[in-house]
Amino acid sequence: MRKRLKLNRPSLRQRARPPRHRTASGARFSAANLSGILKLQHCTACQHIQYPPAELCGVCLADALVYRDTDNGGTLLAQSDLHHSLWEYFKRRLGDGPWSVGTVQLDGGPTMIVHLGPGEMAPGDRVQVFSHSDASQSAVLIAVPDSVDLRTREARRAIVLAMGLNAPAIRPTGA
Amino acid sequence: MRSYEGIVLTSPISLGYARQSAHGAGWYVGSVLRELLGATGIEKADVDGLSVSSFSLGADSAVALTQQLGLCVRWIEEANVGGVSGVLALRRAARAVQCGEAEIVACIGGDGAAHRSFELMAAQFSNWSIDAAFPYGAAGPNGPFSLITEHYMNRYGARREDFARICLDQRYNANHYPPALLGHKTLSLDDYLTARPIAGPLHLFDCVMPCAGGEGFLVMSEERALHLGIPGVRILAADERHNAHAEDPIQDRGGWTDYIDALYDRAHAGPEDVDLLQTYDDYPVISMMQMEDLGFCAKGEGPQFVQGTDMRFDHSGPAKNKLPHNTCGGQLSCGQAGAAAGFLGVTETLRQLTGAAVSHQVPQARLGLISGYGMVNYDRGLCSAAALLAGGDV
Repeated sequence: MRKRLKLNRPSLRQRARPPRHRTASGARFSAANLSGILKLQHCTACQHIQYPPAELCGVCLADALVYRDTDNGGTLLAQSDLHHSLWEYFKRRLGDGPWSVGTVQLDGGPTMIVHLGPGEMAPGDRVQVFSHSDASQSAVLIAVPDSVDLRTREARRAIVLAMGLNAPAIRPTGA
Repeated sequence: MRSYEGIVLTSPISLGYARQSAHGAGWYVGSVLRELLGATGIEKADVDGLSVSSFSLGADSAVALTQQLGLCVRWIEEANVGGVSGVLALRRAARAVQCGEAEIVACIGGDGAAHRSFELMAAQFSNWSIDAAFPYGAAGPNGPFSLITEHYMNRYGARREDFARICLDQRYNANHYPPALLGHKTLSLDDYLTARPIAGPLHLFDCVMPCAGGEGFLVMSEERALHLGIPGVRILAADERHNAHAEDPIQDRGGWTDYIDALYDRAHAGPEDVDLLQTYDDYPVISMMQMEDLGFCAKGEGPQFVQGTDMRFDHSGPAKNKLPHNTCGGQLSCGQAGAAAGFLGVTETLRQLTGAAVSHQVPQARLGLISGYGMVNYDRGLCSAAALLAGGDV
């Protein structure tokens, strides 16, 4: 971790990337979400949908969590435009304007902090959440308006491209 | 719950507040201990209990500190619970003394502030934060709290002018408390409203400044304090909850609602009897939430309550209702010294109730309410603790 922070130093980094550090559970989340729209842990003992990723079911404590395709519809509860970040990648992205994040409650139960994709979304709106790899090869969650077609991989990739999430932030030249 | 009868808290110490510091957490804990001994005349050998709260001890633990500081104790605790560490430390230490497991417990919170240490802590605060919060903008605590604040404003119609009431009165208090890091600066409503945006509805003066600092106090029996001739403060009631209201999709209340009525009952008092209130003010919305949950007003009435309440230490504000709040300026004006920030409300209340506050003394301070809040494991603070303390003769 200390080494990663060293690499976060602006002066050392031509190509800054989003935080890559994950726990073992977080790495499994990324692996499970390499394909599909949204895969979350489901408890095979009590049907609870677990998020953030964990080793045991947070309701029945069973060691019975498996990744499955999950209904990705939900409601946006709050949204926030970030103007400040501790991480070089986001600092550079903030040069183009604030970075939007939000809290979504999935119809299946869990609440999740997400990146907000393009499109108008206000608290109370219906949204859909999908996962995609970011420029650090970690799966992250992105919410978009209900009307967006997410069925194809290309459509999802286009959204992530538009957000600049799957490309490193290049150090500005000059000045 | 059994009462805390026969136990007192004594000798509040606050020291070493600095934006950055070359000293480690061990230096802060040890320095607070030295000041505690100096203030009371107690020998180091007489301290037989140690409670330490710190985020930045690194490879060290509370036990390692006993060797470094030459202490031999028969009761030890390490409670890394951030904003509730002070109230938790006093509860546990009081029971230890009551049960005869220790006679004098030093409760100390201390953290250093090395270059870029806040970034390190924010990046790896908890496993859920690493996997599911930090990657989303890496805003540190500002991220989740901007969402909590935005949700509260939408749901209850709070405005930035309402949060300003809390920040402005606290800054006035800090202007009279010399150690406060921002105490030399005044803060106007215009300054507050035009500050640069940080995250969503949060602007610069809604955010605490991370810093280094140490806080501490002693817990002992009333007889011992009387024998030593040092003023003490009694615990009328105290309680805590962790991960309460987990079913709320976004936090707008804390665990206080579970026990606040019983807490007042045990103390034979109500919110109207409280002479001073210290809330955990990592963000003003959290202080407002505590005022509601601690019974000063109903849920959602926080904005009207702060508009109609003078929260200055000296009752000098124009509002009719008087409730001195975060009387040394709180973290918003003193700085947030890691886990020591969870002690700030306790030490400040001890200063007030023993009449030791001098430059910022609340008139007729007899009953103090301290509230702790902390540990954003993922999307909300999980811990909520409260203690009612009474001054008077030991």
